[in-house]
Amino acid sequence: MDPQAVSQGAANAVSAASAVAGNEQAAASGAVQAVSAASQAVVHTGFALFLDKLYYFIMVPLVYISIIVMIVGIVAKIMSIVRAPIPAFSLKTYPAKKRPFLAALADTFGMPMIRKEKPLFWFFLMMFHIGIFFLFFGHLDLFPGVNLMPPQSRHMIGAGAVGLSVTIPTFYFLFRRFKGQERHISVPSDYLLLLLLLFIFLLGDMISWGNSWTAHGFVMTKADFKNYFGILKSFSFADPRTVLHGSHYHFVVAHVFLAELFMMILPFTKIVHTFFSLPLNLLRRR
Amino acid sequence: METATQEALKKLFESKLNKAMRLYLDTCAHCGLCVEACHVYQAMPETKYTPVGRAEVVRKLFKRYFKVQGKIAPWLGEVIELDDKSVDMAYEAAFSCTGCRRCVTVCPFGIDTQQVMNIAKLLLIGAEKQPQILSMLSDMSIAKGETWKETADDYIAALNNLAPEVEALAPTPPGRPTIPIDVENANVLYVGLSGKHSIVPAAAILNAARENWTISHFEAVNFAAWLGDGEKQRLIAKRIIMEAERLKVKEVAVVECGTATRVLKFMTGSHPFKIVSIVELIARYIEQGRIKVKSGTISGTLTYHDPCQLGRNGGVMEEPRYIIGKLTDKFVELTPNKEANWCCGGGGGLISLGEHEFRMKTGKVKADQMRASKADTICTACENCHTQLTELNEHYELGMKVESLTNLVAHALTGFGA
Repeated sequence: MDPQAVSQGAANAVSAASAVAGNEQAAASGAVQAVSAASQAVVHTGFALFLDKLYYFIMVPLVYISIIVMIVGIVAKIMSIVRAPIPAFSLKTYPAKKRPFLAALADTFGMPMIRKEKPLFWFFLMMFHIGIFFLFFGHLDLFPGVNLMPPQSRHMIGAGAVGLSVTIPTFYFLFRRFKGQERHISVPSDYLLLLLLLFIFLLGDMISWGNSWTAHGFVMTKADFKNYFGILKSFSFADPRTVLHGSHYHFVVAHVFLAELFMMILPFTKIVHTFFSLPLNLLRRR
Repeated sequence: METATQEALKKLFESKLNKAMRLYLDTCAHCGLCVEACHVYQAMPETKYTPVGRAEVVRKLFKRYFKVQGKIAPWLGEVIELDDKSVDMAYEAAFSCTGCRRCVTVCPFGIDTQQVMNIAKLLLIGAEKQPQILSMLSDMSIAKGETWKETADDYIAALNNLAPEVEALAPTPPGRPTIPIDVENANVLYVGLSGKHSIVPAAAILNAARENWTISHFEAVNFAAWLGDGEKQRLIAKRIIMEAERLKVKEVAVVECGTATRVLKFMTGSHPFKIVSIVELIARYIEQGRIKVKSGTISGTLTYHDPCQLGRNGGVMEEPRYIIGKLTDKFVELTPNKEANWCCGGGGGLISLGEHEFRMKTGKVKADQMRASKADTICTACENCHTQLTELNEHYELGMKVESLTNLVAHALTGFGA
């Protein structure tokens, strides 16, 4: 079958479905089915075939691999610290807090020292970390059986605002490293890590904003992503292409791939502060 | 650098990798919050004088030799090799840091640059590039611990010569020596420094309180703490700990010396006796009514410099203010103060090393603070700080009087025997 003809057919089907259907949802549904049928009918060869296999690897096996690498890495990192000798004396600073653990919790999650010294930085840090918290739940909502948002809603948690709340601070974190002492104390990994995060967020934004802020939603709906997460959860190793339709699949694959990269490098970068911030703050509080 | 030396240094490095150090070296986010917290950077705004810049010397070595990233992608963290150049960088990092730990209080993770610098200092010792004067002074202190009996008679004679000066400040309780020594079961073992200025005022206060006290054969200062030699530091502190155990005292009171107090109080484990700063003891005597001080003996306004090791790192912040409150009603605070106080620039062994030009430059932020206070007198409770403040006062022509808190109290003693 001629791929060009298939594409054209799909486009026509989308157009026809939109024109004929009386409501938007029916139009979108018809379009998706048409695109899906067209996509599956294509027989890929050469580079397209290579991409298919690469995409499959990224979308299924590499998800499991990256999660395993992350967990093993984190456990190894934590073990290296647990096994190390404890400091011979207290490293706390004064005045001593009556409740050191609560003080360390406040230091970790409230970052009062940053609020005092650099309020703008603190604002973006808080925005970012709260955003990450909601991002976690936004992705959890995509798991089959989990419905933090109503199942029929096409919005992720925050309806696109959560993406903004991590993307804007990431731009700030990146740009502040190009001036003053921040530039001098930064090493290549600082920039690369922020760029990695930025691209993950921007790709995620595209999907999330598309679903929330356009009339018909993103080509792939929240229900489609739920089906994809269902494949991962069931370990069926089915091709996600059967549930994620349309040419925007490239962007989803890119989003997933960068997220996998992030997970795999997490234990070996300063992102370990996710786990170590509280123990560190406890060191200076008791 | 020879491979054998490099290997030996790696082992030394590894020996310091306790839980805290691994966390400190792994977690820094390079946020730069600590940059402005350093008084050295305030005076000389260069990356190498920032807390993170100093710690990065050690961190880049850590990444190179102890992390996967440093082996497969060294460029990611701009790692450095363990060689003569990096050892020189370690020297500049370690001995431009006074160990004031002001940066710890602003770091969102509480990363302790002073501790990280102890790795740099250990590498210097391993490479035999440590400051020789600190090595020599440490060795002398340790030797004193082994030979003190040989010089005890001379020491006691010298102490007896100080008796009239002590008597001039406060009468000795009847039946007791003015400066008692080797008193078993004493309540307090007072550990001074080698100069009489650290003995006379304290002796007067202890006598005015009618304390059953005894003076140490040793001086409190611990040069090895600045050198970064943990074993020597332990040996120097051990002399005093053993003396306190031998005499079965109830309490050890340490002279106005921030580092000595911190080492003895927090870094020597638990003991059957308490360890306190002389400042804490004086505050307690006043509170209990065991000594009385005249208010108004200090002319003009008075301010107080919190020694970093005593205040931020030792928790003695309210006691000096309580004492000062009894001495004068014309007290003004330096801004900022207490845990946020600026280091005077004399810590970390820099006084012992000389480093006058560097100390005067980096003490500018303290000098500015002193000037802004418009106080006539500044007092403190640390020998190093006192020396540095005196030199800053002269260098920046501040026209202030610099006093030790113990000395101010001793000269305000009154109501003896009441």
